[in-house]
Amino acid sequence: MSTTLLSPPSHAARAPKPLRMSPQLALAVIAVGAIGVVGLWWQDTLFIYGWGSWLTNAGRVTGLLAGYAIAVLLALMARVPALERGVGSDRLARWHAMGGRYVVSLAVAHTLLIIWGYAVSAHAGLVPQTWSLLTTYPDVLMATVSLGVLVAVGVTSARAARRRLRYETWHFIHLYTYLAVALMFSHQFSTGADFTSMRNRVLWSAMYIGVGATLLWYRLIVPLLNLPRHLLRVQAVVPEGPNTVSVYLQGRNLSRLRAESGQFFRWRFLTRELWYAANPYSLSSAPQPNQLRITVKTAGEHSQALNHLTPGTRVLAEGPYGSFTAAARRRRRVLLIGAGVGITPLRSLFESIPAAPGDLTLLYRARSARDLVLHRELDAIGQARGARVHYLLSTHLPRGHDPLSRSALEQLVPDLAAHDVYLCGPDGLVEALRRELRAAGVPRRHIHHESFTF
Amino acid sequence: MKRILFTLVSTVAGLVALLSFKTESHPLSSPGALPSAGLSETGATTGTTPSAKTTSPAARSSSAPKAKSSSTAPATSKTYLGASVTTRYGIVQVKVTVRGGKIVNVSFAQLTAFDGRSQQINASAAPQLLQETLTAQSAHIDTVSGATYTSDGYLQSLQSALDAAGVK
Repeated sequence: MSTTLLSPPSHAARAPKPLRMSPQLALAVIAVGAIGVVGLWWQDTLFIYGWGSWLTNAGRVTGLLAGYAIAVLLALMARVPALERGVGSDRLARWHAMGGRYVVSLAVAHTLLIIWGYAVSAHAGLVPQTWSLLTTYPDVLMATVSLGVLVAVGVTSARAARRRLRYETWHFIHLYTYLAVALMFSHQFSTGADFTSMRNRVLWSAMYIGVGATLLWYRLIVPLLNLPRHLLRVQAVVPEGPNTVSVYLQGRNLSRLRAESGQFFRWRFLTRELWYAANPYSLSSAPQPNQLRITVKTAGEHSQALNHLTPGTRVLAEGPYGSFTAAARRRRRVLLIGAGVGITPLRSLFESIPAAPGDLTLLYRARSARDLVLHRELDAIGQARGARVHYLLSTHLPRGHDPLSRSALEQLVPDLAAHDVYLCGPDGLVEALRRELRAAGVPRRHIHHESFTF
Repeated sequence: MKRILFTLVSTVAGLVALLSFKTESHPLSSPGALPSAGLSETGATTGTTPSAKTTSPAARSSSAPKAKSSSTAPATSKTYLGASVTTRYGIVQVKVTVRGGKIVNVSFAQLTAFDGRSQQINASAAPQLLQETLTAQSAHIDTVSGATYTSDGYLQSLQSALDAAGVK
């Protein structure tokens, strides 16, 4: 029944190719910016003399870099389409997490080095020097509060703390980063030796304003503009198996979103209970000009509520996001491996990734036949495209046999090393699979995966 | 863990390399050669040479008051140390010698710059500030343009020294 709701795949005229920024290019841009920031210091510093001056200047450089890096971190999370498609949301989130620790460390180092450096130059104790910095230097007190906020955000984001906190709590604390940026901004100009020139002040402000505008545009304005533009509504909610439902969404001009198979949106269902949460769910069929579909395992509180969505409910979709698309593909032959609900983005790729008959294989790992979802569609697509589908069910396998080991994979998929491989599933399984595939001779750049944990 | 260590080590190494490039072993003015300006016996300024020849025998006693030195008393000079003022570019501390209510010598007890450019600015601004002080005989002097922070720090320190000396 579910297949009848899907319109036939369209090969309608494509919109111009969406921009993609490769991870290498993105990192290069960030590095060039960092060099420019150090350049500010280089230009303003004739030479350093003495230990106190040494410490103070180390404090200046770390401070400048912290100020720059925090802008970069915000930009990474601004949902810029070229970054989302090119770098991928999961990798951006990983960069953001790593960079976050770095920024907090830089800010702490900056603070300590400046106190120490000034104290050495003034032949004062650390405590009186700290006091004088706090009380007599303009805006330093505010910046100190900002440091406290940053450290708190960093601590609550540490892996151990993340596990103990509710997502909403963590997210709420994370929003205080904006406050931290606002509090620390003015001390850069009122005490920073590199910001006495108007040129530097303008450049620095432009960086923050640019990042702020980008955040506002892509995270708030575009999704709101898309609401009347596409008039996205729930069309139907269809159960697919145990604890799994498909939500069909109807709208207009959806091709203008330039969504691709394998991508996801953050969905806000505009009901009284659900509007505030934007949850990421992958498209489970190739996007159509007037219809999208997601398939969701109803495990959490939010996904449970999807069962009770009524047709006609308006939907705010932020996206599309993710680099897990056909654009990442390098080789002629393609292997898709999915486990559990990780099958959803692979289902849409299986439908639309260009491949000649015989070049496309799908492996679907699940506990038992009861846990399979969308398998009738997968069979139908496989038949129509001349693609192979293998179901790897624990209940049908001899005890102790790992169907995703190197040898098992090589047996199932001849010429494994010549494939591009797309992986989606639980983190542990994906990690193990990557190792097996690398051992089987699949180069790292031909392994593509999407992590569900943000 | 390996990544954290790598980031830490490379950041520190980069910072040290960067700062080493800019480190100089010979500053523009060594602490012994801080500029000073004083009045000769006839009242003409003696210029801005190093401060070694302070006229006062009481120079070391600094601001420790012996007795209220009245302005009519035979001219004994006393030296007063101003507050040490830290600006964003460095530290300024002024030393004033007063005789008979008159500023006869003014010099720097401290003039530290956090970086080389500030040191250059100080080197040109400091003598001007000292001269102006002798001419004005007070802390009511103009700031040196291009050296606002040094000037402000100087004026604060000077004012505190003059307050201690009782010079209006």
